[in-house]
Amino acid sequence: MSEMIKKNVNDLDLNFRYEIAKKIGAKSLLKCIQCGVCSSGCTVTEYVDLQPHRVVASCLLGLKEEVLSSKAIWTCSLCHRCTERCPKNVDYSFILALLRNMAAREGKIPKEYSSTVEVIYDNGFVVPYTEGMKKNIDRRRERMGLPEIVPPNLDDIRFIINETGLGDLIIKKEDDK
Amino acid sequence: MTKKGNKFSLFLGCTIPLKMPQLEKAFRDVASILGVELKEMEGVSCCPEPVSLQSLNIDTWLTLGARNLAIAEKMGLDVLTICSGCYETLKTVSVLLGEDPEHLKKINEILKKINYEYTGKITVYHFVEILTQPEWLEKMKSLTIKPLDDLNLAVHYGCHLIRPSKIMRFDHPEKPEKIDLILQTLGAKTIDFANKLECCGYCARLQEEIGEKLVEDKMTELCELEEEVDALIAVCPACVTQYDRKEKIIARRTGKELNIPVLYLPEIMAIALGVALEDLNLSTRSVKPNKLIEKLTT
Repeated sequence: MSEMIKKNVNDLDLNFRYEIAKKIGAKSLLKCIQCGVCSSGCTVTEYVDLQPHRVVASCLLGLKEEVLSSKAIWTCSLCHRCTERCPKNVDYSFILALLRNMAAREGKIPKEYSSTVEVIYDNGFVVPYTEGMKKNIDRRRERMGLPEIVPPNLDDIRFIINETGLGDLIIKKEDDK
Repeated sequence: MTKKGNKFSLFLGCTIPLKMPQLEKAFRDVASILGVELKEMEGVSCCPEPVSLQSLNIDTWLTLGARNLAIAEKMGLDVLTICSGCYETLKTVSVLLGEDPEHLKKINEILKKINYEYTGKITVYHFVEILTQPEWLEKMKSLTIKPLDDLNLAVHYGCHLIRPSKIMRFDHPEKPEKIDLILQTLGAKTIDFANKLECCGYCARLQEEIGEKLVEDKMTELCELEEEVDALIAVCPACVTQYDRKEKIIARRTGKELNIPVLYLPEIMAIALGVALEDLNLSTRSVKPNKLIEKLTT
C-alpha cells in the first residue's frame, strides 16, 4: 500500500522505540512479533497508508518521522479490536494515542481533532453551551421536565488544560493564524 | 437493592443532555420506574471525550476525567454513565490511575491546586451493567406493561462499551450478551448477524467514507435478512446518530431501501415499561419508527 522506504541506518531514530515504551501502558510495544492479527481485524485497514502491524514495525525500526507524519495514526476509528485480539498483549490503541500525542507536540494535528479541544476550552463541554445556544438548550430541557444543567467552573477546566500542556497547543495554533 | 446498590451519581456527559435530551428523558423515566435512585452531579465537565482529547494529550484527558470522578467521590456514590464515550473515558481513567499510584499522585498535584482530589474509591458503571443483574432483570420483567413480544431486534454494542476488555470488563468482547438479555427480558427476540460487532465509524474522523461504508454494510445486511428487523438498538448517542443519519444519506445515494429505525436502548425499555409514546419524541429520528409503533399499539 505504501511506497518502499529507503533510508540510511544513520538516519534512523533507534531510540524511538524506548521513547514510546517508557510511557505507562506502552511497554508492550517491545513484545510485538509481527503476526498481523491487529491489521487483519482492523476496521480501517483498507484505508490506511500504514497498517497497524507496520506502524509498530516502523516504531521498532526507528522510522519516527514517517510514523508521526503518517495519516494512519489519525485515520484509526479507535474500535480497539487490535488491542483486544493481540496474542502478545500489545496495547496498540494506547500506543497509537501516544503517537498522536507526539505528533500533536510537533504541531501535526488535523483540524477535526483540535477543534474539539477548543470547544471544551470555551464551554467545558464538547457541545457549545453559551448565550443563544444555552438558552435554546435550557428551554428544550425545561419543556421535557429535565433538571437544570450546572456547568463546570471554566477556570478549573482551563487551568487543567494549561497545566497539562495542551494550552500551548491552542495558543500555538492561534499564533499560526 | 443489589450488592452494587440502587443509588448512583448520574454522569450525563455532553452529547445526551445538550444535543439529544430525549435520550436522557427516556433513561430517567426507566430509572424512575425501576427504582434506580439518581443524584445529579453538579459542576462536571465533558468526560472528556475519548477520541480527540486522549489523542492530543493523555494527561489532559486523565486529569479532566479524574476531576469528574473526584466530584462523585465527594458525593460518596459510584458513577452511573449513560453514554459509551463517557463510560470508556471514566472507566479507563479509573483503571489506569488505579494501577499506577505514581501517576495518580502527579494528577492529584494538579487537582489539589483547584481543590479537588481523586483517591480511587468509587467504581464507574454503565447502566446496562447494573440493570442486567438478576434482581433488576426480575423487577424489569414484573413491571413490563407492554411486552415486546412481536419484535425482532438487532443489537449494536458499539466498540467503547466492550473493548478493550482488560479495562472495560463489561462483557465477553467477542460475544457480548448483556443488551440482548435486557431486550429478551422485555419479551423481544434478538437476532445474531455477521456485522453485529462492527464499528459504527463515527470516530473515524478523517474520512467520512469509512463511516458510510460501515453503516451501509450493517444496514444492508439487516435489510436482507429473511425475517424483518424492527429496529437497531444502540446505547451510545454517537452510534445512534451515525446510523440514523447515514442510513438516509446512503439510501438516497445508492437507491437501496434502507429504513430500519435506530433506537437508544432506554427508549425501547421505556415503551415496554409503559411510558407514553408521545413523551419519547421518537419523531425526531430521520428514520421514523412508525411501523414499530404500529406493531406495538395494535
